[in-house]
Amino acid sequence: MSVAREPLRRVIVAGAGQVGVLAAIAVKRASPATEVLVVATPLDPAAFAEHIGTALPFTNRLHDRLGIDEEALVRRAGASHRLAVRYADWAGIGNAALAAYGAASDPKLNSAFAREWGGGPRGAGSGGPAGSVGAALATAGRFMPPKGDAPSPLAEVDYALRWNAPAYRDLLIGIAAGLGVRHHPGPIAAVQADDKGGIAAVELVGAGALAADLFLDASGTAALLATGQPGRRWVDWRGALPARGLAVGAATAPRLDLTDTIALTDAGWCWEQVGRDGVTRFLAVPDGVSEAAVVAALGGAPADRFAIEAGRQAEGWIGNVVAIGDAAARFEPLGGIALDLAHRQIDLLLDLLPGRGIDPRERAEYNRRFALMADAARDWIASHYAAPEARRRFAPIEASEALARLLDQFQRHQRVPIVEEAPVATGEWAGLLHALGVQGARSALSMAEGDGPGRRAAALLERKVATALDAAPPYDAWIGHMLREG
Amino acid sequence: MSGRGTIRIVVLGGGTAGWMSASALAKLLGPLVSVTLIESEDIGIVGVGEATLPHIRGFVERLGIDEAAFMRATHATYKLGIDFHDFGRIGERYVHPFGTFGEKVAGVPFHHYWLELAARGMAGPIGDYSLAVAAAKANRFAPPAEDDSLRSTYGYAYQFDATLFAPWLRDFALPLGVTRVEGLVTEVLRDGESGDVTALKLADGREVAGDIFVDCSGFRSLMLGQALGEDWEDWSHWLPCDRAAAMPTAHVEAEIQPYTSVIAMPGGWRWRIPLQHRIGNGYVFASSFLSEDEACEAIRAAAVGERIAEPRLLRFRPGRRTRSWSRNVVGVGLASGFLEPLESTSLYLTQMAITYLIELFPQDGRIDARDRDEFNRLVDMEYDRIRDFLILHYHATVRDDAPFWNHVRTMTVPDTLAAKMELWRETGRIERYSEGLFYDASWIAVYMGQGFLPERHDPRAAIPDPARVQAAMRSLRGAIADEVAAMPGHRAYLTGRAERLAAAP
Repeated sequence: MSVAREPLRRVIVAGAGQVGVLAAIAVKRASPATEVLVVATPLDPAAFAEHIGTALPFTNRLHDRLGIDEEALVRRAGASHRLAVRYADWAGIGNAALAAYGAASDPKLNSAFAREWGGGPRGAGSGGPAGSVGAALATAGRFMPPKGDAPSPLAEVDYALRWNAPAYRDLLIGIAAGLGVRHHPGPIAAVQADDKGGIAAVELVGAGALAADLFLDASGTAALLATGQPGRRWVDWRGALPARGLAVGAATAPRLDLTDTIALTDAGWCWEQVGRDGVTRFLAVPDGVSEAAVVAALGGAPADRFAIEAGRQAEGWIGNVVAIGDAAARFEPLGGIALDLAHRQIDLLLDLLPGRGIDPRERAEYNRRFALMADAARDWIASHYAAPEARRRFAPIEASEALARLLDQFQRHQRVPIVEEAPVATGEWAGLLHALGVQGARSALSMAEGDGPGRRAAALLERKVATALDAAPPYDAWIGHMLREG
Repeated sequence: MSGRGTIRIVVLGGGTAGWMSASALAKLLGPLVSVTLIESEDIGIVGVGEATLPHIRGFVERLGIDEAAFMRATHATYKLGIDFHDFGRIGERYVHPFGTFGEKVAGVPFHHYWLELAARGMAGPIGDYSLAVAAAKANRFAPPAEDDSLRSTYGYAYQFDATLFAPWLRDFALPLGVTRVEGLVTEVLRDGESGDVTALKLADGREVAGDIFVDCSGFRSLMLGQALGEDWEDWSHWLPCDRAAAMPTAHVEAEIQPYTSVIAMPGGWRWRIPLQHRIGNGYVFASSFLSEDEACEAIRAAAVGERIAEPRLLRFRPGRRTRSWSRNVVGVGLASGFLEPLESTSLYLTQMAITYLIELFPQDGRIDARDRDEFNRLVDMEYDRIRDFLILHYHATVRDDAPFWNHVRTMTVPDTLAAKMELWRETGRIERYSEGLFYDASWIAVYMGQGFLPERHDPRAAIPDPARVQAAMRSLRGAIADEVAAMPGHRAYLTGRAERLAAAP
C-alpha cells in the first residue's frame, strides 16, 4: 500500500519581493506544518517579475487558490482591470487594434474562432469592429468583475489585474505573516552545498547556518542560490528575442483605463501600463538604438535602464533548489508575461510539491514542464515581431521550430496549433496575431463554409455585447463604489 | 462537373475509413472539391471498431446527422466505458470510464486522498467515486448534464455494428455528390517528374485521375505502402497480438450493458460488445503464442449465448507508417497504422486523420510540404501516445500463468512509457499533456485497476483528518448512488426512445 510522503520540514525562500513572498504563501497554504522562511536578498531593480505590477489572467486563478482577495487588491493595492491590450502601429503606421483576453478557452473551438476573426486586414487607422465582448467593454469603458457563481453576461470576460507593486508586496507580506511564514532580513553570508548537487544550508548573518529540505531561489537576476550549483546551465535566447535593454519612463499622472497600449516605435515596443497610482512606460530596446530615439519613444528621458540577457535555466530545479522568476528566466517583460511565468512556475511547483525526499522523476517532470512553459512564453513574445511593421524595422529573429510552425500555420490556414503550457489559449494567440496585423489566409474549411457562419457569429456577438454593455457600469463608477464601500 | 469544386479527391477503399473520409470531405469542403470513391465488391471490409470513443459523437454531429438516425442505422447502444477483467491479475476487474474520479481538493488530485484512506482501510474501490463507473455497473444510462454538476462528470460513446456504418455513410455521401466507382485498382499511375500519383488504373482499363488521393485501402496500403514504399514502423515486440477471431452471439439477458467488456485470455484478450440485437465477441490474440484454431475454439467456448455465425478471422499488425501523408497521398485508417482495439481507438484514429486533413487542406489543391510535415507530426503524436497507453495494460500485470503474459510482463517498454510508470510508482503523479488522447483519469483508472499502486503519494493528502475525508468521500459516493438510482436502465432508456431502435432482424 502507498504511504504519504513525509512533508517538507523547512522551506527557505531567498528573495522577499512579490515573487518570493507569493511562493512562500503558496507553500505555507499547501503544507501548513512546513516551516517557511523568507530571507530578504538585496533589492534587484533588474528583476522585472519583482517590480512590474501586473501579470496575465492566469494569476487571478492562482490568487483565488491562495486566498488573495481581488477586492482587497482593488482597495489596498491600487488594482485595476485590464480587459484588452491595444496594439498600435504594429500592423502599419496609424493602425491600432485590440487583443482581448479570454477570447476562446476551448482548444477545439480554435479553428472556428480563428475564422470568426475573419480574413484580411481591418481598416487601417480604425480599430475595426470589436472582436469580443471584452474588447467592446474596454472600448466603452464599462466593466465590473462578475461576482460569485451567479450567471452574468460578464462571466465570459477574462481580464488581467495591474497593481501598485510595493503596495501589493506589502499586502502579501501581511498575508504571509498571518499564515506564520517567518522572515529573516538577510543577507545570506554563505551557501553550504550538499553532496547531491543541492544545498544543505544557508548561513544567515545573525542566525547561523539554517538547513532546509527545499530552497526556492527568487533572488532575481543574481540567482544567489542557483548560481553556485554545479549542474546549472543557461540557455541563451538572444537570437530569439531582439531586445537588449529596457528603458523605464518616469511615472506620470494616474489614469483609469480598461486597456493598456503597446506601441511599436522605431526604438522598440513601448508598453504604457495604466494604473490608479500612475502610468509607466516600458521601452524594450534592441542594440544600436540611439538615445534620442529612446527619449522620443518614451516621451522623456528614462528614469531607469536595465540590460536584458535573454535566456533561461536549462533546468529550473536542480537538487533541492528551484529557481523562480528572474532567477529562472530573463526576457523582455512584455505586457505582464514576466510575472505570469513566475506565477505559473509557482503553480507548477504546487502541482508537484515534493516531500522531504525529492524524487528525481518528479524533478524531471517539473523541468520538462518548466522548459515548455518558458519556451512558450518566449515564443509568445517573439510572435509579436512577426507583425509587418516589426519585420520592416528590425532584423529577423531566429524563430524556434514551434514558433515557425505556428506562424506558418496561421499565415496559411489561420490555424494556431496547440502549444503545451502556453501562457494564452490558442484563440487568444490567434486574436493577438490578428491585432498585430499578421495576415492569415482563410482556411479551406472556412472558404467552403462561405460567409454564413461568420455572419451568424457576428450577430451572436453583437447580442452578447449589447447585453454585456447593459449589465456593466462605467468602470470609474464601479471603482468609486468599491473604494467608498471599503 | 458544373457547380462543383476543382480539387479532385480520390478515395481508395469502401470500408469504414473510406466512407468516413468521403462523407466528411464532401460535407465540409463540398464547394471546393469533387470526391470520387473507388471500391470493389470483391474486397471484403474489416469493419473494425464496434466500440467507439466519445469523439465519434462530434463526427456525427459535424456531418449534421441526427443521433437517433445514426443509432437506428447501426444498431447502436450507449457506452460509458470499458470493463476490464483479469488484466492485473486473474479475478480482478475494473471499469475505465468516460469520466473522472472525484475532484481535486486544495490543489491535490482526488486519487492521493483515496490512496491515503485506502492505506488505512477506510476507502471503498476507487470506481465508487466515479459516476460513469457506478452507472455502468448498474446497467443504467442517461445523457450527461451540460453544467458543472456531478452529472456533467462523464461522457458517452456508442457500441455499434461497424459493418453497417460504411454502407449507411455511403447512402449519406452519394446525395452530397460523391461519385462511387466500382472497380479493382490494378495500377497506381505516377508523374514521372514529381513522383505524385496522377491516377488509379482499374482492371477494366478505366483511369480515375485526381489531385489528392486518400488511401483507405486497409492493410494492403496500395498507394502509401506499395506504390510509394513508405516505411512501416513495426510495434509487434510491444504489442504482440496480430489476429482476432470475431463471432456474434444472441443476447442472453434482458438488460443491455452500457459498456464494453474486455477479458484477458491466456493468449491475448477477448471483447464482448452488446448491440441492439446481438452481442459482438472476439478474441484478439498473438499468433506466436496461440494458433488460429485454438483461438477460434476458445472464443466458441467463452462467448455466452446462441452462436449467430462461426468465428471469422482477421489478421493485422500493430505499428504505423513513418509518414502517413507522402507526396499527394494521405493514409487514413489501416493504410496508415493500426493499434489493436483494446481501448476502442480504431475509429478515433480514422476520425483524427480526417480532421487534421481537413484543417490542413490546401485551398488551391497544391500541397505544401509544411502541411504534410504538420499532419505527420500530429498523427505520430496521437499514435505514439495511444501506443504507450495500450502497452501499459499488458505490462502492469503480475500474471505469470501463460507464456504470453510472461512475455508482456517482462518485456522492455518504450522509454516514454517507462518514465511515466516510474513517476507514478514513486510519486503517484501523472505526466501531463493536453494534446492527444487519454489524460489523467484514464491513466489512473488503469494503474489503479490493475493493482499497480504507487509506493508513495502526495504528503498533503495526509494533512486533513482521515475521518473527515472519509465522511466527504462517503457523501460523494452517496450523491453518485442517488444520481445512478435516478437514471433509467439502459434498455429502458433505449426503448423509451424507439426512434433509436432498428427493426428486429
